[in-house]
This record gives sequence, structure tokens and C-alpha cells, in this order.
Amino acid sequence: MATIDSATLKTTLQRVAEGTAAAAAELNAADGQLGDGDLGITVSKGFAEAAAADLPADVGLAFLECAKAFQRVSSSSYGTLVATGFMAAAKGSKGSETLDVSAIPALVAAARDAMMARGKGELGAKSVLDSLDACAQAIDGASADDMAGKAVQAARDTLTAFKGRPCKLGRARMFAEKSAQLDDPGQIAFLRIVEAAFPQSA
Amino acid sequence: MKKILNDPADYVDEMLEGFTAAHPEFYAQPERRVIARPQGATKGKVGIVTGGGSGHLPVFTGYVGPGFLDACAIGDVFASPSAEQMASAIRHADGGAGVLRLYGNYGGDVMNFDMAGEMVEMENDIATSTVLLADDIVSAPKEEAAKRRGVAGMIYAFKIAGACADTKADLAEVTRVSQKAADACRSIGMALTPCIVPQAGKANFELGENEMEMGMGIHGEPGIWRDALRPADQIVDEMIDRILADHSFAEGDRLSVLVNSLGATPLEELYIMYRRVRQRFADIGAEIVMPLVGRYATSMEMTGATITTIALDDELERYLKAPAACAYWRVG
Repeated sequence: MATIDSATLKTTLQRVAEGTAAAAAELNAADGQLGDGDLGITVSKGFAEAAAADLPADVGLAFLECAKAFQRVSSSSYGTLVATGFMAAAKGSKGSETLDVSAIPALVAAARDAMMARGKGELGAKSVLDSLDACAQAIDGASADDMAGKAVQAARDTLTAFKGRPCKLGRARMFAEKSAQLDDPGQIAFLRIVEAAFPQSA
Repeated sequence: MKKILNDPADYVDEMLEGFTAAHPEFYAQPERRVIARPQGATKGKVGIVTGGGSGHLPVFTGYVGPGFLDACAIGDVFASPSAEQMASAIRHADGGAGVLRLYGNYGGDVMNFDMAGEMVEMENDIATSTVLLADDIVSAPKEEAAKRRGVAGMIYAFKIAGACADTKADLAEVTRVSQKAADACRSIGMALTPCIVPQAGKANFELGENEMEMGMGIHGEPGIWRDALRPADQIVDEMIDRILADHSFAEGDRLSVLVNSLGATPLEELYIMYRRVRQRFADIGAEIVMPLVGRYATSMEMTGATITTIALDDELERYLKAPAACAYWRVG
């Protein structure tokens, strides 16, 4: 697959919606250790709404529709960050009906930067931003065939890399000692998202 | 919990239904949780939108009207509206000359309004700008003033921004004047009792029968001290001293002052406070222009008050005095 279009995006969203629905209980439990325990609901509801949305043919406007759908049902901070990521991808791809796969690393990097700016978060604080950054770096320059596998591996490696380190962002930062022993719920959610998006690589 | 309501889940929507029915000359609800002027946006004028959680009437919704705001997005009690509602409010405020987002500095509101701006820029080619109110002096030290919460100073910013936009000034000019108004405001609050969010059903904090808290936020955010209730003059003196430490006034300066009820404090007590406020600025030799005493920005049924000052120059004073009308404040 060398290009993606609105239809490809929709089928990917449907896989992610199914995958995150299956992971909702796991994510709620992980979030419940450090936060308010609704991350699984946030993510699965958001992707279900995005997957059900009527996506326009323009890839950029399709990403915008995803952002709006996600935000509509999941306006928590994680939901808003995911929507922000979609919005950055929308800006970077507006005006074309097909997108070359080689454009994806730049869109992921743009999503990372926009999410950092919106959430005023930094890399290294043990959050979803670290997963996204690792993913952006891993797929930069990768061939179309390798990209999915590298994204999934980067998401896994991020969880491993942060084992034993405290969360310094969001509500979890108030439980430094406890958070060090636990995986960051946002990073787990990101892994489940990319695993569902690219099942052949998971 | 003792409140006049039907189902707590319907609290905001039923409130808006009554609100627009009572004042149809000022407010229409073109979409759910979006209040706009009934005649629509004014062509060629910069639109001004605000937004935020319910529970603060007359802020935010009440200040839609000629010489004030064009539209407002409304969230649940003390909760941000969604980015889509905010985008919808921006579209309803757009008269073709761009839209200023003018609202309080709260994390959820900022994230959602930024996203709303991006949405309308992509979908509707509407140029937008932002001015945040950060006037609550106790919520962060002066060196970090940009982190402060936005409270009752919003009233002055709405008024001045609206008057500037009415001159058909462009978006950059309306933004500049609104930022200047926002920067000139200083506020501080104090509370005697908590309030109850309908869907929570219980008070969000507790204060002893004879206690007060200084510096409390409009959602019950903790203040700077809690102690026995003091006489009115002592309370006002501390509030004014803290404002003056943040923004000094000298002889011959002009300012406006708002003494605002957080919901349950009666006008009588606000006038007792204003009496002392006036004495303090008379001692300095600063002149108070258009003082406001009443219920302008509230926190449900919280007992307590806020004091806001806005330092005026000729430009801000002219816009403050320009004609405007909404159901809660008429000028000229």
C-alpha cells in the first residue's frame, strides 16, 4: 500500500474502534491506579464515534472530521489531545484525496508537536507524548512496508524504557513513587491503538 | 441539597430555555448550548465570542447583546463547553471581519477554544484571535501573571471589546484593545459559604459557621487563608491592599471598580463594601468612574464577594462609557 485515502482511513478507524473497545477495561483499570479511571471509555468512545463518522473524500477534511467526532464524545484531556493530533494531520494533508505513505512520518511529527503545545507537555515526562515521539522517529525514512511494524515496536519499546521512572505530567505526577512502578496509561492506550491499526505487525 | 430544579441532568438546558424565553430581545439559542444575538452576526463587524461552564450567570451568556458580545458557548455547570460548541459559537458571531475569542484562563476552556479556532479556520476560513482574562491576583504571583485565573474582570473586557468592535475596527485593533483592558484588571474574591453543583448534589468544600476564606476561586478553588469572619472594613482593606500591591494607583488616576456578589451575598452588604472601597481610593486621590455594585459574575449560591479594579486611560474609559445593552447591564 503506497497511498492512503479516506476509505483506508475509515477501515483503519474501524479496526482501532474494535481494538480499543476490547482494551477498554484494561485501560480503565490502569488509569484508575493514577487518575479517574475513565481512559478506556474516553478512547473507545472516541474511536467508535470517529469510525462511525461520514468521512469526506479530502483526506485533510477526513482527519478534521475524526478530530471533531473524537472531541464530541471525549472532551477529557486525553480525548482533546487525540483530537489535536488528528487536527494537526488534517492541516498537513488538506486539499488532496490520496496521501502518499511517505508523508505519514511528517504528519505524526506534526501531531506530536501540536499535542505538546496544546497540553503544555514535555518529552521524557512519561506520557503519550513519548510514545508518539518514539513512533515519529522510528518511522522517519522507513519504507512503506516497514512503517507499521516500526510504529508498533516503538510503542512497545517506550513502555519498557519508562519502567521504573515516575510520571511528571498530568494528575499522575502527584504520585511519583507509585507511578514509577506502573506503566503510563496513556502509553498503554497508544500501544493498543497502533496494535489495532496494524494487526499484521502486532 | 436544596435547589429548585427538575432533573439535575436538565439543569443547564432548562435554564437556557427559560433564559432565552425571558429575554428574546437579547438572546437566541440557534443551536444547543450556543447563545447568539437573535438578529444574527453584524456584517463587517469583528465578532466577539466567549464561553465557559454554566453556574456563573450573568457571566458568560448574559453579556451577549449590542455593545457587548456576539455569541457564547455554554458547558455544564463548572465544565468547559466542547470545541464543537465553541466552533459553532464562532460561526454565529462571524460577520466576515474575523472573531475574537475572549474568555477566562482555564485549562479545558483554553484547549477547546484553541481547537475550535483551528476548526473554523480550516472549514470556514474565519480568522480568529484570542485574549485571555487572567485577573485573579491570588491565583499566581505577579511574575507568573499569565497563569492566573480569569474572574469578574471579564465584565470590563466584554464591555470594552464590544464597544471597540462596534466602531468597525479590524480584528488586530479589537484584539489589542481587549488585551489592554484584560491587562488593566485586577480581582480578588472572598467566600463565606460553598455552592452545590446540581449533578454532584453536595457542597464542593466546607467552611465553618463563623469562618471566611480569602482569595477563594469561583469554583471553590482554595484561597490564601481561612480564619474567623472579620468586619467588612477589615475584609475590604485586605482585598484593596492586595490589589494595590499588584497594581498601584496614584493621585489623579482614574479607575472603575466592580463589587460583585458571588451569588448569595445581598446588595446591602455589597454597598457596605463599596463604601469602604470608595474611601480607600479617595484617600489615594484616585477617581472612580462608573462603579458597578451587584451580581455580575457568580458561583451558583456561594456567599461571598469579589472586588475588581480596572485602571483607565482615555481610550479604555471612552469604550467603557459607550452605549451597550444586555439583560443585566445597560450603558448609555
